Formats: sequence, C-alpha cells, structure tokens
Amino acid sequence: MTKDAVQGAAEEADQAQSKKGLKKQQKEAEKAAKKAEKQAKLAADSQSTDEDDFAKDRYGVPQMVQSQQKLDRVLVRVQKLTPEKADQLIWVRARIHTSRAKGKQCFLVLRQQQFNVQALVAVGERASKQMVKFAANINKESIVDVEAMVRRVEQKIESCSQQDVELHIERIFVISQAEPRLPLQLEDCVRPEGEGDEDGRATVNQDTRLDNRVIDLRTTTSHAIFRLQSGVCQLFRDTLTNKGFVEIQTPKIISAASEGGANVFTVSYFKTSAYLAQSPQLYKQMCICADFDKVFCVGPVFRAEDSNTHRHLTEFVGLDIELAFNYHYHEVIESITDTMVQIFKGLRDKFQTEIQTVGKQYSSEPFKFLEPTLRLEYTEGVAMLREAGVDMGDEEDLSTPNEKLLGRLVKEKYDTDFYVLDKYPLAVRPFYTMPDPNDKKYSNSYDMFMRGEEILSGAQRIHDAQLLTERAIHHNIDLEKIKSYIDSFRYGAPPHGGGGIGLERVCMLYLGLHNVRQVSMFPRDPKRLTP
Amino acid sequence: MMAFRELSSLEKSLGLKKPNKYSTQGDKKVPVLHSNNGPALVGLVTIATHLVQEAKRPKLLGGSAEHKALVQQWLEYRLTKVDGCLKDDIKTILKDLNSYLEDKVYLAGNQFTLADTLMYYGIHHIIVDLAIQEKEKHMNVTRWFDQVQHYTGVRHHLPPVVVLRNRVYTSGHH
Repeated sequence: MTKDAVQGAAEEADQAQSKKGLKKQQKEAEKAAKKAEKQAKLAADSQSTDEDDFAKDRYGVPQMVQSQQKLDRVLVRVQKLTPEKADQLIWVRARIHTSRAKGKQCFLVLRQQQFNVQALVAVGERASKQMVKFAANINKESIVDVEAMVRRVEQKIESCSQQDVELHIERIFVISQAEPRLPLQLEDCVRPEGEGDEDGRATVNQDTRLDNRVIDLRTTTSHAIFRLQSGVCQLFRDTLTNKGFVEIQTPKIISAASEGGANVFTVSYFKTSAYLAQSPQLYKQMCICADFDKVFCVGPVFRAEDSNTHRHLTEFVGLDIELAFNYHYHEVIESITDTMVQIFKGLRDKFQTEIQTVGKQYSSEPFKFLEPTLRLEYTEGVAMLREAGVDMGDEEDLSTPNEKLLGRLVKEKYDTDFYVLDKYPLAVRPFYTMPDPNDKKYSNSYDMFMRGEEILSGAQRIHDAQLLTERAIHHNIDLEKIKSYIDSFRYGAPPHGGGGIGLERVCMLYLGLHNVRQVSMFPRDPKRLTP
Repeated sequence: MMAFRELSSLEKSLGLKKPNKYSTQGDKKVPVLHSNNGPALVGLVTIATHLVQEAKRPKLLGGSAEHKALVQQWLEYRLTKVDGCLKDDIKTILKDLNSYLEDKVYLAGNQFTLADTLMYYGIHHIIVDLAIQEKEKHMNVTRWFDQVQHYTGVRHHLPPVVVLRNRVYTSGHH
C-alpha cells in the first residue's frame, strides 16, 4: 500500500464521519426549529387567549381580604343547598374538597364543615376555556367564593351530603390558597378501620393525624365527635342548672395536691412552688361549706401520671359535681346517675346524625343504659369476677382488665353499658373518703362505668374535721399543707358527696371509640405537647 | 413428673386398682413402664394404650378401623404438636382445634376416647392461662374442654377451669 492510498482511505473515513455528523446536526436543527415553532405558537395562543378571554373578570385570585369593603353579598350555607333553592343564583364560600377536570369541564366538590356539594365549571356562555383551566388548577383545601346556579340533578349524587342539587359555577374566586401538597389526605383519615388494607389504600396512623391536627379536624368524623362533645357539656350544664346547681370556677394553681402527691405537676411560683390541680375537689367542698349546696365545675384538670395508654391524658376536661345531702349519700349517687342518664338521652335524641357519622368510620353498638341506673356493691362485683374464674382479694382494687371484664359480665347479665359500683374498699380510696359505718374495711365511695371503663370516681366526703384529720394522718399527709381545707369543716359543714367525670372518656366510651386522643382536640400526654 | 401424674390419673379414671411404677428415659424424660410379664413399655401413648387394654375398655381406643385411626391421629397430635409447644404455636393449636371441633362433641367424633383424656391433660396448662375473651374466641375448644373436665373420673390431679356458659364478648368493642 502507498502513502497516498493510506491518506485517501483516511480522508474517506473522515468524509464518512462528517456526513454522519451533518445528518445529526440537521436533525437537531429541525428539532429546535420545531420546538421554537411550538413555543411561538403557544405564546401566540396564550396571547390571543388572553385577549379573547371573555370571562376574565369571572375568576381569579382577588386581593387579600383585609376588610376593605363590606359587601351585601349573602353567602348561602352548603347545608341549605336543597331542591328548594333550584334555579337560584347564589354565592357560597367553601373549600375545594376534590377537583376533577375532564376536557371542557371541571367537577369540583365544595365542602363546608361536614357538608359537601358537587359543582361544575363548563366552557360555555358564562365560562371560558381559561376559567375552566383555572378552576381545575386550584389546590385542594383552598377556600373559594363561588357564584353559581343551583340545579336539580336527575340522579342522586351519592358521594355528597347535598345529593339532589349541583352548582353550575358562574364565578369563582380564590379567597385563600392552600399549599399544593397536603401533609395528609382527608379521605385517608376517614377511611373505616381495616377497609383500606384490601385495596392497598393508605390509612393515616394516629400520630401523623395528631401532628397535623388542624387538617385532621376537618374530617366529617372529627366534626361529629366534637359537636357531640360540645353537646355533652351543654347537656351536663343544662341538666344540673335545672336541678338547682350553681356553676363555680376554681383555681388550677394550688398549694397542695388533693389526692396524694405522686401524680401532680409542680410549677414554679415566684419564690416557691405550686401544683396544677388534679381535680377541683377541695374547692368544690369548700363551696359546700360556704352553703352553695349544689355546685358543679367544668374545667381542665391535670395528671402527671407517666402512663401511655389509650385512656390517659395529662390534661383533660373534668366535669365535677358536689352536693350536700340529707341523710344518705345514695341521694348523691341518684343525682349524678340521673344527670348521666339525661346526657345519654340527650345525645341519643339530638345527636343521632353525629353518632351515625362517627359510626361510619368506627362501628360500635349503640350505647345502652337502664333507668334507674344499676347499682352494684363492690363485693357483688368481686363475686361476679370470682365466678368467672378471676382470683382476687376482698380489698384489692380492680385492675383494668378486671374492670373491663366486669363490664362485660354486667352487660351480659343486665344489658347495660352504664352502672355504678358502690362501697369500694376504704384502703384504695383517698383520705377524705367517708368510711362505711357498718364495715370499717369498706367506704361510702363509688365509681361509675361506661362500657366497662371508669368514667367517674366519687364518694361521700368526711365533713367532720376530727375524723378528717385522723384519716389524713393515716395517709401520711402533711397537715400543715391542708390546714385551710380541714379548717373549712370546723365551722359547721353539711354532709356531702360528689364526683368527677372525665369529659373525653365519656365521649370516647359513648361513641365506642378506642382512644381518648380521638376525642381530645389537642391531646396532651407524656409524649405530646404540640400542636 | 408430669407424665407420671398424668398416667396415675389415667389409671384412676380407668378404674385400675393397682398403681404401676414408672421410670424415665433420656433427656426428654419419656415414661417407662416395667411390666411383670414381658418387655418394658416406653412412651406415654404406648403405656396409655396398654392401660386401656388392661382395664378391658378397648372402646376407648376407637370402634371401627376408621375410628381407631382417628384416635391414633389425635394421640400423635398431642405428642408432636401440643407437648413442648412454644408460645407462638399455642395460637395455631387453638385455632386449628377450634375449627376442627366446630361440629364434634369429642375429638374422634361423638364418642369419648383416650384421645380426649390425653389431649385434656396435655392442653390444660394452656387453657388455664387463657383470658375469658380468649376462651370465648375459641369457644369450641372451651366447650369440648369443659365437657371432658366434667367427664366422670377424668380430672383428678388438675384444677377445674371456669368456663362461662354465656358469651360476654358479643360485640366488636373491647
């Protein structure tokens, strides 16, 4: 082979390579041109659409509401959107629950508290293509103001609370934009237990829900729970007020623990320390000594027990009752059980929707009670447990499993979820509990149970300063610290008794829920201090 | 130890007057019976079967061939599955037994056999520890167990287990 030949071959190779390169370049140029064309077209499109969007005043994100103007506009509640409103043009403020765009139309579900309605934006006389696109792009959970025509629908909309109408949107404005990504989905929070498992759908665990409580509280279940809870408080107040009780307010910062010093929070109080009240016990008793006769108190109580169970909180709402009686503390029991029965009846009659809403997610049997309320003595309870094979001592306190089992046995025998267990052993009760006159081992004290779990603890209190001092000494309590309490009984004190109920527990057990955190809006437990 | 007490209870329940003497063999303490006429018998089921023969109550080993096989199967189950079972196995045993006993009075059908006695002795320590809720969950096992513990002469060295006649955990709430 000559030198030339070699060179020629090399050139050929070069040429071949450059040919390939050329083709490649050409292709790329074409691509770029196409892209540019497309972009130009898009820009032109958007420009032209900007120009011919006839509906551009009908949607958008208006100025932040800073109370610039006071419109006469009437905002209709979603709940009120019924066929009677058909063919009316109305304004609604609601959240975007879900949205689904499909070609020239966009379906929205608008939610207001536990109610929701289907709404529709469709390209037509009132809405442009751009408006539909805007509506479809509003983030979930944003708050919008919507002007719409109410239209009757042929087929019921099963997924909404307002099943007979839908809204044909004519204007839509975003009042508050939500972030595009939510920490959790509302649908995942209301999915019935166990249902998501089969189709692999997510359920949100409780901690995540509590971490994002504000969103979790928006669910229909949460709304129903807290409406019912509000109902319990109201029924409690109404019933007692009708019975002639006076509502009192007691201090929560106190100088001495009322029920033994172990489980109280200590707070620094200037140069000394104080405690957070475990119950308004001492104060409601002092009110009795001050002739208030029948008092109740609704307020926070604190327990520094380091127990992480389904039914313990470190701060909860106590519903406390204290009343003077004539001759027998059963007058007190009757008064309290009647109050409870009035609450149960009120819930059953006025909160059926809420009960059913909660039942959809957490199914349970309806709450049963007897009238008058069943009262068992402690010894009878122990006998029932022994008969069922439980080995326990006469003066032993009920353990949680035994408490629950006894609840079961009582339900089976008497068909009630609510009963009173009377005459507890004296040894397991606080120092101010009145001993039983017939048997020193027992006391005039009682617990009340719902679905086998304790909701109320109460007793006849010692109203005699002498006996009270004896019992305090027996319990090794520093007399100096409870001097003012004991002194209140030195100037004439009527016989009295009472009890304290945990609001959250009542709601939890009435609804048959499994965790007290579900019925506490912002629960506090040893591991949770936020939100 | 346990096997001795079990065999001595069995002797009594069979109505055998003269108690036998047993020894053990190996790490697992397999019971051995030295009889006067013949070689030593080894193993719980073998000895138990022998005692039944001695008491002239062959029906306890099953009537028909099929019945006999069933009895043998459950005796074997007792030795292989129940004895020395771990905590995790208990759930499986209870679940299996419960579904098996759904339509039966006794282990091998409608007649009381040696399988019932030995299974009762073998499973007693499990049942005695069950919570009421567990007992109710495995109600067929509990019903069978209650039936056997009340069967004339069976119980002997074991404490009675309380069995509720009514269901108390009827709803889903716990």
